[in-house]
Amino acid sequence: MSADDESFHPLGKEWESELETMLDDTEYDSDLGMEMAQDAMRVTKGELSEAEFHEKYHEDVMDEFGVDDRPTEEAYEAAQQEAKGTVGRMLDAFDGDGDQSRRETMKKMGVGAAVGLSAWGASAAPDASFGSTQEGDAADDDNDGLQWGMTIDLERCDGCLSCVSACSEENQLDQGVNWMYVLRHAEDGQTADDLGNHPAGGYENMLVRPCQHCTDAPCEKVCPTTARHTRDEDGLVLTDYDVCIGCRYCQVACPYGVNYFQWDEPDVAYEDIPSESDVLPDDLDPEDAVYSEYDDMGDRWVDGRAPRGVMSKCTMCPSHQDGRRGDEMVGMTACESACPPGAIQFGNVNDSASDPEKYASNPSRGRTLERLSLPSADEVEEELEDADGDDLEAVLDAVSFDGMGDDLVDNEHGLGILIALEITGEHMGEMGESEGTANLADYEQQVLDILEVVEDHGLDLGSQEVLADLRLADAPEEEEAEDENGDEDENGDEDEAEAEDDFEGPDEDDAQRLIEMFAGTAPSSFKLLEDFGTNPNIHYLGNEPGPNAEQVEGPVAYDSLELTDNRKDVLDDSTVTGGLY
Amino acid sequence: MSTKSPTEADILRPIKNTSKTYFILFAVAALALGIFLVGWAYQLYEGMSVTGLSDWGTGGGVTWGLYIGAFIWWVGIAHGGIILSAAVRLLGMDRYMPVARLAEMLTLAGLSAAGFYIIVHMGRPDRMVTSVLGHYHITVNNSPLVWDVTVITAYFVLTATYLGLTLRYDITRMRDDLPEIFSPIYKVMTLGYTKEEDDVIERMVWWVALAIIIMAPLLLHGGVIPWLFALLSTYPGWFGAIQGPQFLTIALTSAISGVILISYAFRRAYDWDHIITDDVFRGLLLWLGFFCLLFLWLQLQQLVSGSFSPTTAHEAATASKLSHPAYIVPITMVLGVLAFIFATTIRPALFTKARAIAAAVLVLVATLVEKTYFVVAGLWYPAFNIYEATPGDYFPSLIEMSSVLGTIGLVTLFFLAISKVVPVVELHAVEHLRGDHGHGHEDETHEHESEPEVKA
Ligand code: SF4
Ligand code: SF4
Repeated sequence: MSADDESFHPLGKEWESELETMLDDTEYDSDLGMEMAQDAMRVTKGELSEAEFHEKYHEDVMDEFGVDDRPTEEAYEAAQQEAKGTVGRMLDAFDGDGDQSRRETMKKMGVGAAVGLSAWGASAAPDASFGSTQEGDAADDDNDGLQWGMTIDLERCDGCLSCVSACSEENQLDQGVNWMYVLRHAEDGQTADDLGNHPAGGYENMLVRPCQHCTDAPCEKVCPTTARHTRDEDGLVLTDYDVCIGCRYCQVACPYGVNYFQWDEPDVAYEDIPSESDVLPDDLDPEDAVYSEYDDMGDRWVDGRAPRGVMSKCTMCPSHQDGRRGDEMVGMTACESACPPGAIQFGNVNDSASDPEKYASNPSRGRTLERLSLPSADEVEEELEDADGDDLEAVLDAVSFDGMGDDLVDNEHGLGILIALEITGEHMGEMGESEGTANLADYEQQVLDILEVVEDHGLDLGSQEVLADLRLADAPEEEEAEDENGDEDENGDEDEAEAEDDFEGPDEDDAQRLIEMFAGTAPSSFKLLEDFGTNPNIHYLGNEPGPNAEQVEGPVAYDSLELTDNRKDVLDDSTVTGGLY
Repeated sequence: MSTKSPTEADILRPIKNTSKTYFILFAVAALALGIFLVGWAYQLYEGMSVTGLSDWGTGGGVTWGLYIGAFIWWVGIAHGGIILSAAVRLLGMDRYMPVARLAEMLTLAGLSAAGFYIIVHMGRPDRMVTSVLGHYHITVNNSPLVWDVTVITAYFVLTATYLGLTLRYDITRMRDDLPEIFSPIYKVMTLGYTKEEDDVIERMVWWVALAIIIMAPLLLHGGVIPWLFALLSTYPGWFGAIQGPQFLTIALTSAISGVILISYAFRRAYDWDHIITDDVFRGLLLWLGFFCLLFLWLQLQQLVSGSFSPTTAHEAATASKLSHPAYIVPITMVLGVLAFIFATTIRPALFTKARAIAAAVLVLVATLVEKTYFVVAGLWYPAFNIYEATPGDYFPSLIEMSSVLGTIGLVTLFFLAISKVVPVVELHAVEHLRGDHGHGHEDETHEHESEPEVKA
């Protein structure tokens, strides 16, 4: 760590100079940024107090960024509270008014300084890597443009293959062309029998494998024709079926094995794609199922099963994303909408309000939203009509919140979870900017509607008492407690008064705990083969398969759904062997 | 060793005489090519599913197979021919002058066969021009496949230029003895020829030879061809810096073998014992031994580094080499050839032309099998090896196998045809052998026998 090299930053000298370069690229004073970052580290180490820090930089920050009208004494007070110097708080101190968010300040300061300051957090968690710092920032910063991607909760996958089937129907793929593929794997020495259910509701050791739509896609790099390309507007990696020469180099270069060549005439003729498919409307123009608009190049044939002699792979449904099939399909893929446990979350991974980002940032919450079978607000309203009053007891008597999920202990928990979802929700009911539909946002909206009905009925869900009864806040302190305590008599009244006034609302930790009790946590997450530098856009929750992991039999067999697992079984029929082998 | 003195009539013989064997050979080669063309037509009609290929990953197969293996093989053969000829010119390895032109022609033929394979391998060969050339300015920055096409084309053009320039000298001098029906060709080839240009041409050819000898190892078989594979870090059987030198040594073994076979065929057909002497074969065989040694040495490097403390995926790739017949057999064959060549240096009496031919055939078979195994096994053992269907299966279909015979037929036809039009042995070589350049060939023979490796 920084103690024994000259670098102030826990990630070392190299990182520091990178930081400097980044700072140089911004319009603000990079020396100031570096100095601030350096002193920020000193605050973390206790060599400098926060108040001193603000004192020192107040003027500079004013000059440079034009904000910082928060009095330094206040910063001093803040430092006095059991300070866990976080970047956020430090930056908040520079915020002029409530309107200017921390993010804006960070932007104003320029990425470099902001990232530099976030070094602070890194020193608290020594193993925080550059990668994760960067990722955190990307997730925080909605300005990176649209990039479709997914969060896939492997611990929720029960291997039903609904997504594989749905993809195959949507795109009318040949047998064995499994753009979406689901497998179960076992580590060395394990067999399928050693694997069981996952407490989160799926099976252990599942892997759901679409194309990763890599930001640095090797398949695109090697293509001799540019047929394999990344769409500028949304980051999808697609194949132009009219340009591809079928050299198959993309399939060779892709580390994930997600490409499927069209070795012969596809089973379904182009014009029959909609009519043959169970999920496409029969009267759909095939063009609206397979062509895609490009800002600069007009329409290109990039979706649906490939014609003979060219390469295909999972496309993440550009025909949906382009709005050709209606706005309500933008932000949705066939596999996502087919997945019963909601393990696939598709959306703009650069937007923290999108499904995949919401889900990944708080998997317990995402799972909860997916698992609850929420009643409609109207149903709740109806039930409330028969309520015996407007206190908590009466509401809980009237409405059966326990019907929402089988694991719920009782009604109280049911209502508690709904409130907890609101408490923990950062973008309650919102969806990503570029999206026309989002599961989680819909569920959140439903939660909000239910809570509104309950509040309208007369129950104050923000009151300390109600929240305490639902275990979402500390109980209000009672008078007797103070009276008994002679030593603190003097201050007792003040404390009490303060307690009433100072009720700071529900306890987020309690809310989070309640959700976790219901849906469990997802302690690990990963991106597949990240060390090959592909920058995949699929974020997995669950355990990464080990280097010796081998596919074992899954819960549902491919042929039971009229799918083919191993394509060679089909292709071998046309191999010319003269009957000799 | 013949004491006959080589004459112009000798090198004109293929043009002037056509034997029954010629027609038989022509028919057999045409048949081989024809069979494959029928197979290819069927492949175009049905789709690539007629091959034994499939998708790697869940598809239980490999997406590149014999077509790509044979493509590399032909480029390899093509490769050495011109290097040999360039070495004659640059390094003064005059002993090989009589086979230099055959070697150049082998380069053109081999590159044509390789180019043909690129087309055969493709799912949509009809789009080659529009799709590849249309986006060349973009793809040339990133795609090793585009680099390949570029370098192979450049190489073909250089070789053709080289051959064309040196042919001007011969054609002008032997114009009267050449068949009248090809006169338009000769006219074009000797357009604007003057005696004064000989020196200029000589110098130009020297520079072209220099370009070739630098470009070939650095760019072609030590460069863009292995880079198709060696740059992909997700395939432990492919990835790494050793593939450049490894490909180059394999290419040179197969190329020398190819030259041995072609030279022997011409010598036999046209009684050229006094032109393509035993000595040439001895020398070529020694070179073959040298490159076999390098070939095996680099294989050993890979086996050792893949076994000592490899990653999981690399371990699987190496284990496959140590157990798969498509690796063990060719390596054993090359080892056998090396042992034989080594033995001939200790006991020269062990050398016979039949054995030299056998060695060349063994090496050619071994390199074809090894290259195909290399391609296929790379895809069998990727870093991401979780799929049950990985490693997949692959056995080439009859159409794929016939492509090898077909392209051999194509190359044979190329030689049969070209030998009717232009002399396949340089006039310079004849002049040289006659001692026009100042030293007789008896001396040379003597020197070579005592110290062949130095002189070679
Ligand atoms: S996973 Fe990545 S490399 Fe593979 S096909 Fe998809 S975008 Fe290309
Ligand atoms: S198969 Fe098609 S998309 Fe893939 S690399 Fe070749 S030309 Fe590009």
